[in-house]
Amino acid sequence: MAADVHKKKGWEVPNGSLVPTDGQPMERSESPTPGLVQGTEPGAGQEGGMFVHTRSYEDLTSPEDGDVASRSPEEGRGDQADQTSMAHISKDFSELSTQLTGMALDLEEEMRLSQENEMDLSPQTARRDSARSEKEDEDVTMEAWRMHQKHVFVLSEAGKPVYSRYGSEEALSSTMGVMMALVSFLEAEKNAIRSIHADGYKVVFVRRSPLVLVAMARTRQSEQEIAHELLYIYYQILSLVTWTQLNHIFQQKQNYDLRRLLAGSERITDNLLDLMARDPSFLMGAARSLPMAAGLRDTVSTCLQQAKAKSLVFSILLSRNQLVSLVRRKDQFLHPIDLHLLFNLISSSSSFREGEAWTPICLPKFNSSGFFHAHISYLEQDLCLLLVSTDREDFFTISDCKHRFQERLRKRGVSHALLEALRTPFYSVSQVGIPDLRHFIYKSKSSGLFTSPEIEAPYVSEEEKQRLLELYQYLHSRAHNSSRPLKNIYFTGPSENLLAWVTSAFELYMCYSPLGTKAAAVSAVNKLMKWIRREEDRLFILTPQTY
Amino acid sequence: MSRGCYLALCARPVQFEKANPVNCVFFDEANKQVFAVRSGGATGVVVKGLEDKNPISFRMEDKGEVKCIKFSLGNKILAVQRTSKSVDFLNFIPDSPQLEYTQECKTKNANILGFCWTSSTEIVFITDQGIEFYQVLPEKRTLKLVKNQNINVNWYMYCPESSVILLSTTVLGNVLQPFYFKGGTMSKLSKFEIELPAVPKSSKLSLSERDIAMATIYGQLYVLYLRHHSRTSNSTGAEVVLYHLPRESSCKKMHILKLNRTGKFALNVVDNLVVVHHQDTETSVIFDIKLKGEFDGTVTLHQLVLPARSIQPYQIPVAGPASVTNQSPVPCKLYSSSWIVFQPDIIISASEGYLWNLEVKLEPVVNLLPDKGKLMDFLLQRKECKMVILSVCSQMLSEPDRGTLAVIATVFDKLNHEYKKYLEAEQSYTMVVETGQSRGNPLLKRPVRTQAVIDQSDMYTHVLSVFTEKKEAPHKFTIAVLMEYIRSLNQFQIAVQHYLYELVIKTLVQHNLFYMLHQFLQYHVLSDSKPLACLLLSLESIYPPAHQLSLDMLKRLSTANDEIVEVLLSKHQVLAALRFIRGVGGHDSVSARKFLDAAKQADDNMLFYTIFRFFEQRNQRLRGNPNFTPGEHCEEHVTFFKQIFGEHALMKPTTF
Amino acid sequence: MAAAAGAGQEKQLAPALLSFFIYNPKLGPREGEEEKKILFYHPNEVEKNEKIRNVGLCEAIVQFTRTFSPSKPAKSLHTQKNRQFFNEPEENFWMVMVVRNPVIEKYHKDGKPVIEYREEELLDKVYSSVLRQCYSMYKLFNGTFLKAIEDGGVRVLKERLEKFFHRYLQTLHLQSCDLLDVFCGISFFPLDKMTYLKIQSFINRMEESLNIVKYTAFLYNDQLIWSGLEQDDMRILYKYLTTSLFPRHIEPELAGRDSPIRAEMPGNLQHYGRFLTGPLNLNDPEAKCRFPKIFVNTDGTYEELHLIVYKAMSAAVCFMIDASMQPTLDFCRKLDSIVGPQLTVLASDICEQYNINKRISGSEKEPQFKFIYFNHMNLAEKSTIHMRKTPSVSLTSIHPDLMKILGDINSDFTRVDEDEEIIVKAMSDYWVVGKKSDQRELYVILNQKNANLIEVNEEVKKLCATQFNNIFFLD
Repeated sequence: MAADVHKKKGWEVPNGSLVPTDGQPMERSESPTPGLVQGTEPGAGQEGGMFVHTRSYEDLTSPEDGDVASRSPEEGRGDQADQTSMAHISKDFSELSTQLTGMALDLEEEMRLSQENEMDLSPQTARRDSARSEKEDEDVTMEAWRMHQKHVFVLSEAGKPVYSRYGSEEALSSTMGVMMALVSFLEAEKNAIRSIHADGYKVVFVRRSPLVLVAMARTRQSEQEIAHELLYIYYQILSLVTWTQLNHIFQQKQNYDLRRLLAGSERITDNLLDLMARDPSFLMGAARSLPMAAGLRDTVSTCLQQAKAKSLVFSILLSRNQLVSLVRRKDQFLHPIDLHLLFNLISSSSSFREGEAWTPICLPKFNSSGFFHAHISYLEQDLCLLLVSTDREDFFTISDCKHRFQERLRKRGVSHALLEALRTPFYSVSQVGIPDLRHFIYKSKSSGLFTSPEIEAPYVSEEEKQRLLELYQYLHSRAHNSSRPLKNIYFTGPSENLLAWVTSAFELYMCYSPLGTKAAAVSAVNKLMKWIRREEDRLFILTPQTY
Repeated sequence: MSRGCYLALCARPVQFEKANPVNCVFFDEANKQVFAVRSGGATGVVVKGLEDKNPISFRMEDKGEVKCIKFSLGNKILAVQRTSKSVDFLNFIPDSPQLEYTQECKTKNANILGFCWTSSTEIVFITDQGIEFYQVLPEKRTLKLVKNQNINVNWYMYCPESSVILLSTTVLGNVLQPFYFKGGTMSKLSKFEIELPAVPKSSKLSLSERDIAMATIYGQLYVLYLRHHSRTSNSTGAEVVLYHLPRESSCKKMHILKLNRTGKFALNVVDNLVVVHHQDTETSVIFDIKLKGEFDGTVTLHQLVLPARSIQPYQIPVAGPASVTNQSPVPCKLYSSSWIVFQPDIIISASEGYLWNLEVKLEPVVNLLPDKGKLMDFLLQRKECKMVILSVCSQMLSEPDRGTLAVIATVFDKLNHEYKKYLEAEQSYTMVVETGQSRGNPLLKRPVRTQAVIDQSDMYTHVLSVFTEKKEAPHKFTIAVLMEYIRSLNQFQIAVQHYLYELVIKTLVQHNLFYMLHQFLQYHVLSDSKPLACLLLSLESIYPPAHQLSLDMLKRLSTANDEIVEVLLSKHQVLAALRFIRGVGGHDSVSARKFLDAAKQADDNMLFYTIFRFFEQRNQRLRGNPNFTPGEHCEEHVTFFKQIFGEHALMKPTTF
Repeated sequence: MAAAAGAGQEKQLAPALLSFFIYNPKLGPREGEEEKKILFYHPNEVEKNEKIRNVGLCEAIVQFTRTFSPSKPAKSLHTQKNRQFFNEPEENFWMVMVVRNPVIEKYHKDGKPVIEYREEELLDKVYSSVLRQCYSMYKLFNGTFLKAIEDGGVRVLKERLEKFFHRYLQTLHLQSCDLLDVFCGISFFPLDKMTYLKIQSFINRMEESLNIVKYTAFLYNDQLIWSGLEQDDMRILYKYLTTSLFPRHIEPELAGRDSPIRAEMPGNLQHYGRFLTGPLNLNDPEAKCRFPKIFVNTDGTYEELHLIVYKAMSAAVCFMIDASMQPTLDFCRKLDSIVGPQLTVLASDICEQYNINKRISGSEKEPQFKFIYFNHMNLAEKSTIHMRKTPSVSLTSIHPDLMKILGDINSDFTRVDEDEEIIVKAMSDYWVVGKKSDQRELYVILNQKNANLIEVNEEVKKLCATQFNNIFFLD
């Protein structure tokens, strides 16, 4: 794929040029901590982070073939996963589906079935759970349908619908046919379609053989960001079927209807899309950590660390998509994207709230060819424990880890304090003590974590909250423009002033009153940076643990 | 024949008993009085002046034929000459000796040619051997010789306006000796010689007083010499030569008025125009020495301004009671040989017993002078010119005889040149007054605003507004004219009044030539003013850019910050307004309520929050407490704020 | 054209025009007659079926986007290798311009070249405006497409398109297009009130004495002073004059000082006036009095005019007369004799005034910043970034990437119509400021690398105070 070769390069240029110019007059002029180098910025973890290091979303665009496996230190595991026979996969998959839809379906049978009644799609639609049904009913020719902020379509190279955010795939099959036609028309000319631009909206195409992903967005996002979201969708799908299996299926049967496999998973995808429109984590390519006293967090981490098992790769404690603690194998790093997919999986289904779930899941950035096995359980309201194991037979061992963890918490007598911390998952921006400051996002690049206060007045309505995120997206897209990246952006708008500051070590996005002066903004930045430095051990996970 | 008669006899002449053997008539140029003396005064003397309605009449003893009779200035003392040796005096001052008294001329065996009063009690005898200057002492009934001068005199002439006496001396009589009288003194001015058309063979008197006149033209004293056509000189006809006679320096020949005709002439000076009557053709011509003539290095030659025209036909009103018996008025014989012409503008018909002032009528001139530029030069020098000029302007702007822009431009320029001169005089006067230098220089006097000063409001009310109203002319022309006038004003650095600009704008808007309007404003052709800015604002609905234009204007005025804020608020640009007022440093004094109201009307919660917070912080800064004081009347806004953003969103007092 | 860029073995190819075509789907609705749709296609050599295919793609794209917004279909298509820009200036008439992305040719160690397309380099707004201008320019000299069809059917339209675009496309210099093409503004000549009024009355008198003149425009040093035409017509006429007509008559005085050369005034020594359009030598009785025709107010009164451009020294006047009257040689002589002398005088007056004002405005020392100003209200444009825009290239004095950042900011502005301000610091450490106040846009580039925001802000304030103190600018 020439395109990818290019894109990677295209995106590396700025990052490459970033390093030398950083450290450097601009920081000196404004940063409270002169010449911040990566790893020394506020929020930087001690022995590195817990994530595969990700700058922007360029990692997203690297192809998901073998070289990922080679990038992840999990060679063997990768091969293993590859070896796992179709039967295994299908069995894992049935379990997964049980989790998701409470409905067994066997892949072999599935494929046979599809061969028999090619045209008949009714079984799926019949099986759809009610959550989506009203989206199904939507008339795709209606203004209401057109006016959606963002449409997302997934189709196979045969032009078969795989997913549509709004409206039923059937109704859209012809439209998707056109999409595929456009894609292949240009590919026939050794070219590749990227996007279509019109007044007020864009249509973005992402090609990931054997799939094509298309989005129609009326948001202020850049083409890059929309592509970024489409790739999340792509990974979301991989996380359910693995890249290897996906390719296998389509090699077997060019016009296979993938929805048969994904039946029931639409809600996860829907949820992911909604989440991306609300939660800056995706934009930042980082995880938000739940603020809590460093001591408490360390204790919890230690407890988590001690509740280990041989097949455990990651133990993750989270609350409402905020990270409480993450313990990993010494040599294993989790990619933020994979973490986001896990967060999304958990938040997209209430079914995990009761009992313990044991579900296979592929972490595409980690290894796109095989399944892990996730043990998901809620210890408390909003406190979710996620244990990722390599061995699908290990359910009971892992389940035991959970109990051991809870046991330790009790012993150390921190569970109460932990609950306390959970009760205040957000802090108010007023704590910073800058009157004109309304909101901010600060990301520590080395730790892959970011922090931001609760969104408060004037952003009370949902629309306003979304608008604020869109503004951040706007700043982000300008700052990370692939060919013309920027170091600083000061935006004076009708409803707020915004400031973006991107260095090799951190990214800061700040939102303040439109009546705030430039001078005020500059001093605000300094004050804010000092504050974050002061609070970093509460806002970040400075001492990540390994087994 | 009456067509284009630009000269006329005044409507109300002085009427007197016509001359006849028993009734002698005299005219005194000094007091402009006509004396009708019946039978040597025994049967009565009637004195009629131009101004005074009721004539003076009295009787006096008949001591023989009266040669000359004149009142002193103010009719105090009457002087009567009966013999060539003496003059008799009679007091007219209440309760003063009524008996006549006499004064003989000092010089032995000299003959008195005449006398003239130079003030109420000063008199000059002119004898064939010189002049004697006396002071009259009425109560003593005697005269006191102040000064006398011996000199052979052929004839004399007196110009009361300038109180200069001119004596014709030498054999040829062409050497003229002026004397000037002032405040009891007699001063001799330098004498000068009138060049005669041809050197006469015999040495006899060759300059007659009939060919000489004295008059003040444009404030200067001139001796006018009517030089008759002579075979020898190759002049194409008679001409009038003007000698300038200044009080200090010597007399100088300055202008020559070409008459291009021969025959009998008479001179008048009316409204600074030299009028030359020609009896043979019964027409008159006028000259204006201010108009451009050809200058040959020493003198300026002038041609007639207008074609010769007769004086307007005149009807003699039928006398008093007789008028009941309705006889139709008798047409008066013009240019009759019985006419006598006195300076400056007097025409007397002794035979019919009338005295007229000659008048210049301007309306006819308009059509006789096709060259509008010359016409303006001419009119601008006339006393009663204003309405005529204005009508000329309106005329040249409308069909049938619409002027070209070039012509219109010249006219405007001439008008504004005059206008500017006046403004400058005004300005320097007020400056002097303000700086208090006015004391101790009596020369300083407020400049008079003559009718020639046509200012913008005259132009606007009488010409331009009317012109733009009746839309017969193509709008291109209309605008061109307005711009031409504005150009002219600018050229003379006269501040243009905004109503002119409004006229331009209205016209442009009428023909929706907004882009042109925009360009004019862009180059500040329409200078800034609040009224103009407001006018622009009012145009916004039909031409949105007007909003920007008026804001710019208000900004340039730099005295209109409040207006700017109002404009912005009216457009719900509350942030802009606040930023602006902060920029000029007024944000601590503005009314919070005003801005909050505007923000509320804008119906934009984010905006409202911002503004509300801004004033909370202002309160905090100024009073150490974010809450609004009751005086600010923001209760409703506080409740509104709470109801949208919640109680907790209110700013907490920071106490430390 | 290739521009050497950056390090060693790299070779950068500038963006280039791949193809340009105009079609109308209604002309060949049925299967098999697709070719009928195509009214113009460049390059013409392209094989018929490929033409049809490419037109087909455009139709498909447009159709496809209508599913999301029936009224607002696609404006541009981004692909790896190129960008395609769509414009429907008249109903069902589509103009499409395909521009190749800039290319970087790298050489591997093994010596074989690797082609790399720079996909983010072209700015949509810039090239969409270029495409729109193509139409406006065509319309200025030919009237609308529909008009041509009314005049003589599709054949005539095709002829006109061929005739016009064949030459015009060669004058598109895609590599040097930038923000100024988006504005397509008019540079006004700064002038004091009095001189301006003189010009006014000059124009009025000329229109009076040459009574067949319908509109007049007056320029000095290629900058507009007066236009009787409506904005949009003037805008494109101005572009024609300044980028095409005037440059073809380059003369020493363009250097600024009015130093006319006797030699170049055939015949008369009384004045320096001469025709830029129409007869070259008035003394030649055979002289042709043919003037270009232009079309204005096409969506209103639809007027057809002769364009007479007459110039003396740096002052140029455009007289536009109704096409129904054919200007004769006598008319031209009359014009020459009336306008020539007065215009000559006026020109030197203006020059004098201009120099005086320059002296007043003070020292010409290089400021710390460069800027572009544009006002949507009157299309006024001002740039210290561009040296004079020659027909071939607009020489900018700054790095293309900064120009592109200006473009980015501009497109951000167009998304909302509230006032906004954007200040950014590029990787090169240059500061770039974009300011939008009411209908005005100001872009500033500061080269004080280690200045901070406050200093930058001060600089911009200073700039506004010196350059724009006479207009209302929000800060």
